[in-house]
Amino acid sequence: MALVHKLLNGTCILRKCPKPSVASYPFLGTRFADYCSSSLQKPAPVPGKASSQRKTEGDLQGHHQRDVALDITCPEEKPEVSFDKAIKDELKNHFWRLKDDIVNRWIGPEGRPLHEVLLEQARVVWKFRGKEDLDKWIVTSDKTIGGRSEAFLKMGKNNQSALLYGTLSSDTPQDGESSRSGYCAMISRIPRGPFERKRSYDWSQFNTLYLRVRGDGRPWMVNIREDTDIIQRKNQMYSYFMFTRGGPYWQDVKIPFSKFFFSNQGRIRDAQYQLLLDKFWRLGSPRSRCLHIWCLVSVHFLACSQPPSCCILMAEREQVLVFLLIKALIPS
Amino acid sequence: MNPLIFTTILMTVLLGTMIVMMSSHWLMIWIGFEMNLLAIIPILMKKYNPRTMEASTKYFLTQATASMLLMMAIIINLMHSGQWTITKVFNPTASIIMTSALAMKLGLTPFHFWVPEVTQGISLTSGLILLTWQKLAPMSILYQISPSINLNILLTMAVLSILVGGWGGLNQTQLRKIMAYSSIAHMGWMTAVLVYNPTLTMLNMLIYIMMTLTMFMLFIHSSSTTMLSLSHTWNKTPLTTTLILITLLSMGGLPPLSGFMPKWMIIQELTKNSSIILPTLMAIMALLNLYFYMRLTYSTSLTMFPSTNNMKMKWQFETKRITLLPPLIVMSSLLLPLTPMLSILD
Repeated sequence: MALVHKLLNGTCILRKCPKPSVASYPFLGTRFADYCSSSLQKPAPVPGKASSQRKTEGDLQGHHQRDVALDITCPEEKPEVSFDKAIKDELKNHFWRLKDDIVNRWIGPEGRPLHEVLLEQARVVWKFRGKEDLDKWIVTSDKTIGGRSEAFLKMGKNNQSALLYGTLSSDTPQDGESSRSGYCAMISRIPRGPFERKRSYDWSQFNTLYLRVRGDGRPWMVNIREDTDIIQRKNQMYSYFMFTRGGPYWQDVKIPFSKFFFSNQGRIRDAQYQLLLDKFWRLGSPRSRCLHIWCLVSVHFLACSQPPSCCILMAEREQVLVFLLIKALIPS
Repeated sequence: MNPLIFTTILMTVLLGTMIVMMSSHWLMIWIGFEMNLLAIIPILMKKYNPRTMEASTKYFLTQATASMLLMMAIIINLMHSGQWTITKVFNPTASIIMTSALAMKLGLTPFHFWVPEVTQGISLTSGLILLTWQKLAPMSILYQISPSINLNILLTMAVLSILVGGWGGLNQTQLRKIMAYSSIAHMGWMTAVLVYNPTLTMLNMLIYIMMTLTMFMLFIHSSSTTMLSLSHTWNKTPLTTTLILITLLSMGGLPPLSGFMPKWMIIQELTKNSSIILPTLMAIMALLNLYFYMRLTYSTSLTMFPSTNNMKMKWQFETKRITLLPPLIVMSSLLLPLTPMLSILD
């Protein structure tokens, strides 16, 4: 897969060509998009050939790469294909990360001294200070299954937050199968080690999820997935609601991990289990069940913490209340 | 679980291991392994949650694969020797496949990947059974076929296991994973001396089981599964903190504690057999294990970690009474002076 991607992008790696669209290579992984984005440069605008799809830099700051035009041709220089150099760079990068991994192992868990890991009471896991922070998230909507919702993620003002915006449409895809539609979500990428090895977060010493957001006044959902090797568990997740106030002030949302309820394929299970935090994999925040509307939420940071007042392992009574709340939200 | 059903399942586990250890017919040995495997699954899933289910599935798949390889080796041996009795395995192919199968059951490198994942996914009591009782059956078969095992393969697996056990446990904050990597390293020490003196393997196994039992019981006593929660035991039971220190140092092989005895005997036996580099390497790699044991003792016993308010919640729970804990602690720390008695093993 790496060889195919390198071959396809061979013309763009060394020359000043437009970035290839990630959407054009859906099966080749986002890691290669990272590689391309780190080494490519945008061409100077050719007069009379500006694409109608190109927008100003200010509007598209952090916009998804799929809006970059592919119909701009390079100047008269011939593209150089250097497959070997691309492979060597990729291998060098992975071995460099492996070396860091080995060195960090001597220092302590996750490259930090053990006493620091054991004594910390709060850790900011995701913050939004630049484009590289946006690349740690995937934005998706029901457009992948034929719906009409759209969602985008870009940097907010002063590069201090991220803005998730778009439109939600409950028009169902005309495929004869789907009866409901309309969602958008931002999902964290799976942490990867050298050679794309799957990793997971260990949050076992924390008990609360802490988010600072500024929403549009609508309820959102926060989903957590555990790392698993079994395909039967791929649709299992733990969820809880996040009610946003609508701004203009930032809202600190603290959700104890004990409040998350267990669901499988979107359906809440009767049997509820404790969320085990030693193999935390992905965090997602979807929004759904609306008519055609505009949705908006700003995110300042996402962290985990251990407030002294929270010591519940699993709140069974609260699970029941949450169940009833879900019933009220779903339109009949 | 219904007590009657639980008793039946537990008896099946015991019976399976006994059948393996006492049979001389290869088919009965295989049957014993299968009984043991099928009966241990509900014990691993006793406290059900999706993680436990995943851990049990992984354990079942690896052990079933190992049993399949073992059966293939038995049939190849049968084809070449014409008998089912467990004697010297004449065919080298059968010997290699059998060694691989038993290594997979024990969790030796390169078949060790399931050990930390499975141990982490199950409860402390199930982990205790997994890392102690489940090692007896495959080790007994290795003991019996030790004259016909390929020495190079066995020593390579042993050395790699000690290295992986030490390296893998370095950055762990989860206690069950620490015990899993400790188990991998100890299995490496046992198999290294298997061909030279199988009796020392059994001695090492005995002392390892005692120390692991003690550690798990101390974890169950303090209801701790992470380094952080263990570092707060001084808050509730300071005596347990001291005992954790002694047991961990014994596991690390420090004299004058019991854990030093098997390591000393094994190094002595290897050097008697004109092997110098191998025991040197093993002793150096054992320092990795000692390093993370020391880190655990530092955070648990040698310092008083700051505790937040919610840690005092442990005071409200009744302390679990574990009957066998005092004799186990004594045996896992004070047996070194009995070393001269080992001469009766010769």
